[in-house]
Amino acid sequence: MSATRVATFARQERRFALALFLPALVVLLVTTTAPLVYLAWNSAMRIDLSMPWLSGFAGASNYVNMGGDPRFWNSLRLTLVYTVSTVVLQVTLGLALALLVLRIPHGQAALRVAAILPIVLAPVVVGLFWRTLVLSPDVGLVDVVTRALGLGSHNWLGDPQLALISVIAIHTWQWTPFAFLVMLASLSSLPPDVFEAARIDRANAWQRFIHITLPLIRPAIVIVVIMRTMIALSAFAAIFAATGGGPGTATEILNLYAYRTSFSEFNLGYGAALAMVLLAITLGVSFAMFRVRRGR
Amino acid sequence: MKRGQARFSRSGRAEKGARLDFRVRKMIGENRAWPVFTKEGTARIRTLLLVAIAAVLLAVWAFPILWALLTSFKTERDVLAYPPTVIFTPTLSNYRDVIFGSASLLPNLVSSVIIAGVSTALTLLFSIPAAYALARLDLPAKRASGFYVLATQMLPPVGLIIPYYLVLQKVGGLDTYSGLILIYLTFSLPFAIWLMVSYFEDIPREMEEAALLDRAGRLRALWYVILPQVRGGIAVTTIFVFLNAWNEFLFAVVLGGNRVRPVTVAMFNFISVEQTLWAKLAAGAMLAMAPVILLGLLAQRHIVKGLTVGAVKGGGRT
Repeated sequence: MSATRVATFARQERRFALALFLPALVVLLVTTTAPLVYLAWNSAMRIDLSMPWLSGFAGASNYVNMGGDPRFWNSLRLTLVYTVSTVVLQVTLGLALALLVLRIPHGQAALRVAAILPIVLAPVVVGLFWRTLVLSPDVGLVDVVTRALGLGSHNWLGDPQLALISVIAIHTWQWTPFAFLVMLASLSSLPPDVFEAARIDRANAWQRFIHITLPLIRPAIVIVVIMRTMIALSAFAAIFAATGGGPGTATEILNLYAYRTSFSEFNLGYGAALAMVLLAITLGVSFAMFRVRRGR
Repeated sequence: MKRGQARFSRSGRAEKGARLDFRVRKMIGENRAWPVFTKEGTARIRTLLLVAIAAVLLAVWAFPILWALLTSFKTERDVLAYPPTVIFTPTLSNYRDVIFGSASLLPNLVSSVIIAGVSTALTLLFSIPAAYALARLDLPAKRASGFYVLATQMLPPVGLIIPYYLVLQKVGGLDTYSGLILIYLTFSLPFAIWLMVSYFEDIPREMEEAALLDRAGRLRALWYVILPQVRGGIAVTTIFVFLNAWNEFLFAVVLGGNRVRPVTVAMFNFISVEQTLWAKLAAGAMLAMAPVILLGLLAQRHIVKGLTVGAVKGGGRT
């Protein structure tokens, strides 16, 4: 092939690539980026639907007010606790279960079916199930168990401390199967010969796990961590259905605080500023994770 | 089996499969990644223990859902019985109520089908070509583009809902299908692109190159050679996108209303109005979740297989 033909071919390639990518890019720009610009603009406004005559440009005052807003700091702390604990729980439990299930000769299929069920349920329905059938005092499944064990009845969603643990448990219950399935799939596709070689080299189970399994399934772990962190940061429906952010503000993660401010108190300007903070956090975290995924 | 031999050969079922090609074993469900090399005696005890643990896990995941299913056939009085009863006279009245009653879920199911169906179709239309370009082609600013897609996927829904609410309110777009479908693209499109990229990346480059050497056009190669390779990936993407759209709640509760009210919102409204009618709630939930449960179970093999690496990576070693 002559040099010019190669150049023409390369140009055609790029044009073809652009033609395939542009439609999606335009849709994304219109549906996600433009609204975010508008969100940023609104975060500098006072928009109070209950007192519309007060609306107007507010500058940075929404952000300044945040500094002295204990509810904001509380929601930030809860977001951190909720995200880190649910992601860590899902990844460790999911990986442990996958390693375990891989050794089970029979019944893997039944477990896979059981794992699919929570994943496909709507979080709002899961929240409602737990609020009524699982966690309600006296007749809920968990309460029946704790009473049978002599641990007494508890108000799982009404007690501020228990409520946070409960919503973390709900999220972990629903989404550990996702981590489990991805890990199981990744483990199942590992080359057996590597493990045979390691075994002949007399590597013990722990060494094999640390030096062979873990590096080989690292991509799966990274994928799970990224996807689950993102979901945990924007978790809404299950908490909203189970506790509504309460009691008080005990389970009011930043996401719920922004929602309540905007659509319960109709203070959309301040809600937009809160959403901007959440946006900054999620983009920061996603950027960090993107680097991890790219690295190595 | 002699002990010295046992250490270096496969035990039990794996032995039969040992002669089979790795891919074939995968197909018949013998997809254990490596053979079990333990002495026969301890192996049996360990297996028993593992099965017991697995049974507990099964219970933890399946039980709340089975319990809800059971509850949906109870009368409200049986629901509140203590200790909880598993022996009761089943009734279909809850289902009758949520299907034919005054608070029928049927219109909500129709809403959900329209919203999830249309947004899924649009998502596939835009995401598949874009993902291919990102994964395989010489796309200008590929890294930045990939990062942009990833970034849009990470956007917090509450950050999107506020501008959508303000704009749709101005143009009269609240409580319309188009408004909801538009905002559903914000989470389904980046997700689908990202997921499809991972499937396209699994295709061997030789296959594309072969198609190109045959002077098949770029588009023809994509359609006839590449897309069949990622059929499983497309199926998985379709299912996940549809499920996510069906299960979405926040956007629907804010932007929806009376005309457009998918099942998730209807379920939530039900519990806020009828605090104590749990049997009816369970029946409604079963009805609302039946499509996604069915879809998930039907596509179960595809979901699990789709999450594993593609055929070539598996077939490369036997």
